[in-house]
Amino acid sequence: MEWIVFFETWIWLGFAATGFAILFNVPPRTLWVIFIMGALGGTVKLICLKLGMNIILSSLMGALLIGFLSIRAAHLRHSPPFVFAIPAVIPMVPGAFTYRMMLGIIHLTGENDHAVFLQLLQETVDNGLKAFFVLSALSLGVSAPMLLSRNKSIKETKPNKFLNKLFDSKKASD
Amino acid sequence: MVLSEKEKINELCKILLEVGALLMETGANTFRIRVTVMRIASAFGYHAELLITHRALMLTINNEESDLFFSRLMQTSAHRVNFKIVSGLSRMSWHIIEEKWDLEMVRHEIDRLKSVPHYPRIVTLLMVALAGASFCRIFGGEAIEMLIAFVATFVGLFVRQEVTKREFNPYLCIFLAAFVSAMISGAAVNLHISSNPEYAFATSVLYLIPGIPLINSLLDLLDGNIINGVVRGLNGLIIAFSIALGLLGAILIYNI
Repeated sequence: MEWIVFFETWIWLGFAATGFAILFNVPPRTLWVIFIMGALGGTVKLICLKLGMNIILSSLMGALLIGFLSIRAAHLRHSPPFVFAIPAVIPMVPGAFTYRMMLGIIHLTGENDHAVFLQLLQETVDNGLKAFFVLSALSLGVSAPMLLSRNKSIKETKPNKFLNKLFDSKKASD
Repeated sequence: MVLSEKEKINELCKILLEVGALLMETGANTFRIRVTVMRIASAFGYHAELLITHRALMLTINNEESDLFFSRLMQTSAHRVNFKIVSGLSRMSWHIIEEKWDLEMVRHEIDRLKSVPHYPRIVTLLMVALAGASFCRIFGGEAIEMLIAFVATFVGLFVRQEVTKREFNPYLCIFLAAFVSAMISGAAVNLHISSNPEYAFATSVLYLIPGIPLINSLLDLLDGNIINGVVRGLNGLIIAFSIALGLLGAILIYNI
């Protein structure tokens, strides 16, 4: 039963990523790669959350996976890596936190009771900070491969031999 | 057509600026713009220096042998995300190096990329609406809430496209789209259609989230392009604020 729920979430994560990919008008040849990357990244985040990590670290893990996958995808499908990475991390963008923070700010402006105000302020700041740090974790994860390869363009860095072989054998079998 | 050195440097400068401006408009980060422009310039044997801002690009190219240099400034037009162009320009820069394209071929390729069509409108609407429904499901909504999120996203995005076509202020477009989406999903909350209509209400505006400005902002900041990072970040925050205002309108009307 667990696995069915897992697989279902996987599909919805993929569709969320693909929807945004189409909104951003990515080349059609990259669509299915984005579907898989979005689903995998989101799944890693959910697994990390299940293992008891906090939301920020989990998002970083998911984004790191997407970041490194995007490098491979860039070699395979001939597009810059962030064309894959940005639509794929969008399902992890902290929409709910940002929404609650904004709602909190709106309620704060109309609140007069001191105790309620403090309670609301605490929740708003909590949601806002989480949103900010999750977002930072996402961009850090996506750009990690770039930072590690010391800012060379991705096409100049050679993929390692094993992956080369893998892709070559794939081409040969096609 | 044989160009003199002066005409050639003039044409190259125009092309480089157009490439840079297109990349800026369609959602590339500052590092990507710099790398692509420098790469094309060096393929033609020139050295390029770039000043990149949100609304204008400044470029000086020079040839170290003849000491001829050329400067030009170009404004970027309205920003509109389009990864087909980003991807195509990046590909083109490699073709220029590997296959020794001349300026005329580059000009043709840029014109071709600009005219590559978007996805059909109905496909975009349906897929983005499906993404909205997916978000709703991930947050824990049931089938009926997913349907509400689907309809709200579909209509909201349609409104946004229509208003953008009429060239309203971009933040106003986002406000209107958020308002329409929130009004549709808020109606479900108000009429108590399902058990947890808040899920649909919260996820119906997620298609508007400024993912690209915010992620690009942090990428720029990490790269050391502080000013561009701050500008993009502020842009993202204003978009988030417009969405919140749209939601506020619906909240006040329905008194949720």
